[in-house]
Amino acid sequence: MILLFVLLLNSCVSKKKEGITIGISFETLQTEYWVASMEALKKECAEKNINVIEAVANGDANRQFEQVNNFIAKGVDGIIVAPKDAYTVIPIIKAANRANIPIGIYNRMPAKNSGQFVTVVADNYEITKRTVQHLCELAKGTNQKYKAMILIGDLGDINAVERRRGFNDAIAAYSDIIELVAEVPTEWNQEKALAGAINSLQAHHDINFIFTSSDFLFPSLISALKNTGKYHKIGHPKHVLLAGFDGDATAFNLLSKGYLDADGVQDLRLECKELIHAIVSRDSLTKPKVISDPGFVIHQKNLAETVNRMWGANLP
Amino acid sequence: MRKNALFYLCLIYYLVAALLVPGFFSANNSWSLIFNLLPLLIAAIGQMYVILTGGIDLSATAIMATSSVVGGYIMSSDYGLNIPLSPLVLVVGVAAMLAIGMLIGLINGLSVSILGMPAFMVTLATMIFFNGLAVWITGSQNIYNLPEAFNNLFYTSVLWLPIPIWIGAIVLLLGFFILNKTVLGQWIYAVGMNGKTARVSGIHVGATTVFAYVFSGFCVSMAAILYTSRLETASPVMGQNILLDIIGAVIIGGSSLYGGKGKIHMTTLGAVFIILLDNSLNLMGLSYFMIMIIKGAVIVSAVLLNEWKQKSTV
Repeated sequence: MILLFVLLLNSCVSKKKEGITIGISFETLQTEYWVASMEALKKECAEKNINVIEAVANGDANRQFEQVNNFIAKGVDGIIVAPKDAYTVIPIIKAANRANIPIGIYNRMPAKNSGQFVTVVADNYEITKRTVQHLCELAKGTNQKYKAMILIGDLGDINAVERRRGFNDAIAAYSDIIELVAEVPTEWNQEKALAGAINSLQAHHDINFIFTSSDFLFPSLISALKNTGKYHKIGHPKHVLLAGFDGDATAFNLLSKGYLDADGVQDLRLECKELIHAIVSRDSLTKPKVISDPGFVIHQKNLAETVNRMWGANLP
Repeated sequence: MRKNALFYLCLIYYLVAALLVPGFFSANNSWSLIFNLLPLLIAAIGQMYVILTGGIDLSATAIMATSSVVGGYIMSSDYGLNIPLSPLVLVVGVAAMLAIGMLIGLINGLSVSILGMPAFMVTLATMIFFNGLAVWITGSQNIYNLPEAFNNLFYTSVLWLPIPIWIGAIVLLLGFFILNKTVLGQWIYAVGMNGKTARVSGIHVGATTVFAYVFSGFCVSMAAILYTSRLETASPVMGQNILLDIIGAVIIGGSSLYGGKGKIHMTTLGAVFIILLDNSLNLMGLSYFMIMIIKGAVIVSAVLLNEWKQKSTV
């Protein structure tokens, strides 16, 4: 009876509005980045008077496949998927293509270029390279030698691979002053990041240059730095040069308080706007299309002028 | 009327959802419901056998993941054994998936019946062990590039019906036949009703228990075949969140957690109800977490109802 009441109540509350409907399925909402992305997509849809059905698969690729099939059954006009990985999204693309519904893939490039879809993805390599280059320039200005550490993500994820590549290429140009001594595998897991960072900082007391492949690992990294007596503000003689990637609220907080030197920021608003536009204009039905977000680097010198574009600084 | 309550509940829920939820009553959604139902139903039938003997199989998700990974290891063209694609690879891969599921079921069954360990502890331990093994074998990576024939299972028809429907129907009929038309089926009920009485009556309690766990392993790996095919990917974390649905389908179907009571057609209705719930709430745009809350509440209600029925019959 309660269930029937829920059905009845929901049908009264959610009278179908005029206009088109887009189904959005996210693999997870476990980090700030995904929550902010979902909110930005919904906001963009609201501004364009587009109805949204949302679903979260909680890390289960099968459930995500079922959710997209439900969208198709409902006859949505477009589908947006933030997939679990680059391969499990392929049958999802095939299902949308069979139903002739435009599909957009958010933040993860499908492994195979088969089928019709549009992908929006940050230029992980370039953003990381520019961020780390900024850090390298700061290092160069001190006339010291630096020992570097990187927290790498899940190497099954192309985003993690590209960020690692960007980092390596950036520091390679400064090999006279920067030596990479530790690569911490995190598999995008905060506990693994914490344990790995503490181990590396204890094994290499002289690490003074750190990049994390995602801002959501900052709490683990800061805990490890505090644990080993290395957490100091910019300007302190023992300050560790620090940079990250994403542009979340933690990174903004660290920048504002003077602990973080630089952060590579994904231009979330641009990504969502371009993706919705591609879905509505049904671009993806004619040819595979990749929308690349060039992103930007935020650091202490340009903080005031770029903060409005940093999504983590503008969360409610 | 009381015996058919779940059937009428499903029917009324379906009709109300058809009236109120846009897109629910459509050919597309009907196929979606059927395809989503099949793996869950197959796994729930296996779980029901174990629950009928008074046990529980918490390792279902680990069996699913291990079976998926073993199949992927054999069948993938760029991972594991790297065997060139041929129909034989497909047959060997599928057979290995079923074999590993039954092997884990055998370990569970022997531990419960011969070593006398509680089913809860045994299957929890095998769940942790085989989940870890699946992740270790693959280095937590998914396995791709499976044979096209395997990936297209859901889109290939035999006698006008997609293959998964035949698989579901065969497992359903097999489950029904064993329980209702064989001595083994009577033994399974008897073991769950009262193990000691069953032993005194000359029933092979140990062998019957082992069979239930092996059958559960077989069913879960059959579900793993369907999931792996549908995703075109073998995953070490496959089915991680499906245990609640599997046990929920059996309990909503009225099977007693104390063993000895349960019917195949009721478990089928239990699985149908879970899928109807999932599908309709999803189409209404409710968040995943809200769906989980509602599903959890429905399953807890079913357990409470079960408890109440149990006490009222004592």
